[in-house]
Amino acid sequence: MPLLEAEDVHRTYRLGRTEVPVLKGASIRVNPGEWVAILGSSGSGKSTLLHLLGGLDRPDAGAVRFRGESISRFSPRRLDRYRNEHVGFVFQFYHLLPELNVLENTMIPAMVGVGRLEWMRRRGEIRERARALLDRFGLSHRVRHRPAELSGGERQRVAIARALMHRPDVLMADEPTGNLDAKTGEAILETLAEQHRAGLTIVMVTHDQWIAARADRIVHLVDGRVA
Amino acid sequence: MAVHTQLLVRRYLTTRIIPLIAVAAVALCTALVIIVVSVMSGFLENLRNSGRTLMGDVVLSRPVQGIPWYGELVRDLEALPGAQAASPLVDTYGLVRMPYPDGPSKDVVTAQVWAIDPESFSRVTDFDRTIWWKPAASREEALAMGEDDPRRSIGDGPLNDARAMRDLATGRPGALLGMHVSVANQRQRDGSYRPRVAHWWMPRHEVSVTLVPISERGTVSQSNSRTFKVVNEVMSGVFQVDRNRVFIPLKDGQELLRLDEAPVVDTEAEPDADGNYPVVGTSPARATQVLVRAKPGTTADELKEQVEKAYEQFWLRASADPARRTKPPAPESVSIMTWNERLRDLIGPVEKERQMMMILFSITGLVCAGLILAIFWAIVAEKTRDIGILRATGAGRGGVMAIFLRYGLAIGVAGALIGTGLAWVVVRNINDIHHALGERAPTWAWAGTFLLAAFAAAGAVRALVRASALGTLLWSVGALALAGVGAGLMLHQGFLMWDPAVYYFATIPSTMDWAAARVIGAGAVVCSVLGAAVPAARAADIDPVRALRYE
Repeated sequence: MPLLEAEDVHRTYRLGRTEVPVLKGASIRVNPGEWVAILGSSGSGKSTLLHLLGGLDRPDAGAVRFRGESISRFSPRRLDRYRNEHVGFVFQFYHLLPELNVLENTMIPAMVGVGRLEWMRRRGEIRERARALLDRFGLSHRVRHRPAELSGGERQRVAIARALMHRPDVLMADEPTGNLDAKTGEAILETLAEQHRAGLTIVMVTHDQWIAARADRIVHLVDGRVA
Repeated sequence: MAVHTQLLVRRYLTTRIIPLIAVAAVALCTALVIIVVSVMSGFLENLRNSGRTLMGDVVLSRPVQGIPWYGELVRDLEALPGAQAASPLVDTYGLVRMPYPDGPSKDVVTAQVWAIDPESFSRVTDFDRTIWWKPAASREEALAMGEDDPRRSIGDGPLNDARAMRDLATGRPGALLGMHVSVANQRQRDGSYRPRVAHWWMPRHEVSVTLVPISERGTVSQSNSRTFKVVNEVMSGVFQVDRNRVFIPLKDGQELLRLDEAPVVDTEAEPDADGNYPVVGTSPARATQVLVRAKPGTTADELKEQVEKAYEQFWLRASADPARRTKPPAPESVSIMTWNERLRDLIGPVEKERQMMMILFSITGLVCAGLILAIFWAIVAEKTRDIGILRATGAGRGGVMAIFLRYGLAIGVAGALIGTGLAWVVVRNINDIHHALGERAPTWAWAGTFLLAAFAAAGAVRALVRASALGTLLWSVGALALAGVGAGLMLHQGFLMWDPAVYYFATIPSTMDWAAARVIGAGAVVCSVLGAAVPAARAADIDPVRALRYE
């Protein structure tokens, strides 16, 4: 059974009075432990497909299934829990919270996912996990720094640490190197490769075929459909 | 409440300027309403207290003709279970010839003259406490008096004379003037009084009081005058009383108004050789009012009921007594009112005014809510991407909404607490602030402000050199504002904001109305949360995909 599956999904956005069909029946299967790259040009719908797989959005038609269960039919609360427990997102522009320091940014998924009592009980363990991740990514000396004080590569490594905080089943990376220079981008890809080697399932969106080549499998998206 | 909500609210509050502006806005609105309501409440409280302390709890009144056999009535009233003391008095209006200015022509003022029995009057009212010229009762009180305060150098003489209402040295009848009857008295910043001209200190002088008797038929008789030694002055704190009231001994008042005991003649009988009609009895002395003070634990309304019954019995007994030619007026001719009812005409409009002020100033609460709404709208717009990030990590709509509602709550609570503290400081020092406004600003104040303006101007020049448009603008506005304030302080000649002639009291009430402060503070918190609710709901509705793409 695939870990994640999109079947004939359609998604149309409304821009003012104009309706823009972005996905026109795209289908994709992601098996456990697989690194899949979704390759496409700008406007091909690759980020929209990633958002549907990650439960950030719902398709107009078709289904998105996680371990065979349609997440498109999840209640809003269950969909929130799906994102929190099973998915980790990494974005092109890092998307760290500017008021929080590196350690707090990393712990955010855990903070969102636990109640106050559980936080009180597991605080030490959560903090240790965040510190261990940051240490693994070479950021142990930056835990008290704010995102504005970090380089682009450091920010993206914090974003990856945040995405891995809750031990997700799948990491969704949207152009993870798109805002970085070649050397730093390569280091980030290597970080992702390490996680993949450790068994993590990755769905990565990119428009760069050289970057896509790092994945196990490349899915070409053209004009809202898988080619 | 999720843990991230608390953390983000704390960080949003402490790392940004906008929430500080919101807290300042809430604090200022809260302080403004609390100050206004506290002053109005204090004013109302003073009015109520003054009513009770100046006239007791219940007043029997029959103007002009008065109540005969009042001595017996006073005894009946003092025997009531709810009454502590009763005192007769005669009240009327008259003319007082003042001892100033120097020269043969003197000022004459109109005054409300109360002819009282000082001993019983002191038991019913706080008259003794209002006597002004007396030595300090304690060391602290003495230390608080200014160097040139005449009270520092006087002995017990004026106080003893006031209590006896006569000049004990000569035996002459004495009068007490309200502190503001004489224009010679000048109030000082510390609340004490000095004579404008040293030799116009009233207790050294005499005044002439002229009263006009009115017959039972309502006709005016020949006026009578009598000279009194000013034995002391009284300061009740109620400006209208201190401006108009003059106290003289009851016996003198009765004589001047022809309400004293007098023989009754039979005008239908044959006159004697000298043309005098035969005396057939005595008309008793009369009092136009009897004031009654309630025992502790008895309300004015309860005492009023007892007084009404007591007066009816007194009237029945006196009317049935064939030996008395003069009968007391029927109960329906006598007004029996509590102090509250007597001041109703005064208290009613003030209460209405207070309510109206509360409503008007509560509008500032709505302004506050609008301000919070606008600020939060901007904050939500600025934090759109953060909302997307939180949604991506699994935060639900409720969690996002809770962040902004809690943020509004925190701003409301901080603003309400700071505003209440600010109001407390202002209310406590309101008379000092008022005095400062009434005087020219000290040199250090305007010179210091100009100095700050010069610093700001230097900052503007520095920003201009560094080609910072925002810096140049802000420093320039600051420099101009400070220069304007400095010029205002330099030119300020002082103005009277609180005119005691209008507001009854000589000083501005400076007691915090904590009950109102609690309500207003809670209102500010509610307004802040309501103001935050709309942007919070908007934040919750933001599509996470759009939020993540938000530039």
